[in-house]
Amino acid sequence: MSVAGRTRSLWTAIVATPILLFVLAALQVRIDAHTRSEAAQKQDLLVRSGSLLKRMSLGYDSLLADVYWTRAVQYYGSRIGQRGENFELLAPLLDISTTLDPRLIVAYRFGAIFLSERKPLGADRSDLAVDLAKHGIAANPNQWRLYYDLGFLYYWHLKDYPDAATAYLEGGKQPGAPLIMKLMAARVAEKGGSLETSRMIFAEMYESTKDKNVRKILMKQLRALKAEEDEMHLDEVIAEYRKRFGRNPASTKEMVAAGLLPGVPVDPVGFPYVIGADGKSHLNPDSPVELPKP
Amino acid sequence: MSAMPGIVAINTFREAVRDRVLYNLIFFALMMIGAAILVGQISIGIERLVIINLGLSTISIFGLVMAIFIGVGLVYKEIEKRTLYSVLAKPIHRWEYLAGKYGGLLLTLVVNTSFMTVGLAAALYYVGRPFVQSDASILIAIYFILLELALVTAFALFFSCFSTPMLSTLFTLAIYVTGIFANDIREFGKFTKNPVMEGLTRVIYYVLPNFHNFNVIGAVAHGDSIAFSLVWQNTAYAVVYVTLLLLAASAIFSRRNLK
Repeated sequence: MSVAGRTRSLWTAIVATPILLFVLAALQVRIDAHTRSEAAQKQDLLVRSGSLLKRMSLGYDSLLADVYWTRAVQYYGSRIGQRGENFELLAPLLDISTTLDPRLIVAYRFGAIFLSERKPLGADRSDLAVDLAKHGIAANPNQWRLYYDLGFLYYWHLKDYPDAATAYLEGGKQPGAPLIMKLMAARVAEKGGSLETSRMIFAEMYESTKDKNVRKILMKQLRALKAEEDEMHLDEVIAEYRKRFGRNPASTKEMVAAGLLPGVPVDPVGFPYVIGADGKSHLNPDSPVELPKP
Repeated sequence: MSAMPGIVAINTFREAVRDRVLYNLIFFALMMIGAAILVGQISIGIERLVIINLGLSTISIFGLVMAIFIGVGLVYKEIEKRTLYSVLAKPIHRWEYLAGKYGGLLLTLVVNTSFMTVGLAAALYYVGRPFVQSDASILIAIYFILLELALVTAFALFFSCFSTPMLSTLFTLAIYVTGIFANDIREFGKFTKNPVMEGLTRVIYYVLPNFHNFNVIGAVAHGDSIAFSLVWQNTAYAVVYVTLLLLAASAIFSRRNLK
């Protein structure tokens, strides 16, 4: 080929490459429009057996575990907050991740939260979360944090205080476990279900978690518990007001004027509490704080 | 022993470099950079784990691909191009030629793996992880990968002494995959509860190269230390197996009619 011919070929390639890439991208957009909705509906796991995948991974099982854990996080993240979402693939994805790498502690810990949280924040499957935590403990019996998570699941989601206390106690015996584990075991055994105990457990979880999404969920719970505690206290003050004046106060300002409160009480995000027709304190309707459902 | 194997080894290494084999390092570097930046954003709590798992797995996979695809062509290519005749016309034994070829590819793999190790260390540094004493285990895992590659290369060279590159690739791959399942084969024998089958699978288990021995990626990713006894045992295992294969390859190649 002559020099001129070679130069022409080079310029043709330089010009044609971006054009053809653009055409490819445009075509892909159209193909996606056809297939994406269908794919979203059909999303499934082709292989659900972690043991089979472990064998198929030809020794690269720990890398595959990371891939499946990332997939579980993405799956959960893309569905969190959606009404009517069942998170059907969450448990199998977590099972595969932990079968491929039984020491993937992060998958047990966060996976249990994803599974146990009420809808639409999670799958609302505390039973599966307990199974996952127990599976984690069986594979990593010295990891005190897994006992801690199991204790939390029993305490908060299943209201099973004896089992929660046992889990905290067992965790407290593991190497490196902080003293708070034994304290929790005693507290839960003695005053299971008290707001004070719940706040202590949530505050500890919040402090020990770095992930933004999980911290958001825990902060929501902490605010709800604080609001619940505030309402209990306010209801006592309302009862005192009723005793003195023979009627319910119309607002918290009246209780402040009567000298029963030092100032207008506000919820953890700054909205003033209101007093309902039933004579009890309630969250401001505009407040984003949500009380735990009974 | 003459200096011939060394000369052949150096030339084999030069040839691999000329064939742009080390270009795979660019891909490795891009992948490690991509993983270091992306993983923290799309997953939770596994940045360090992914970098180590991905880095070590990639070193192993790239090394295997190189060992198999270059290894099976080491001898065949020279016969095809007829360059082998001019080499063998010199005062060199056939086994020296084979040993040189093997050493050359091994040198290529060591250089390639060394660069990848530097890339892995850089990625770990990027994700803000200070180096600790237990990181020595990562180096041991890389050493084990090199032992594995040495064994695979020996198989590729062995098959290439009497077979075509296509068949040699298939044979080497088959041996590699079967070697990974060596434990399962033995367990299968026990499962049958048939003494003959049990004995047969036990023999197969000990004859097959047990590539599972060299895989400590998962353990070092979780910060486990590797026992020194395993280091010397794996080294001895690889050395004995490679010696066996090179002896067999030399025996076949020495008797091969090259006309």
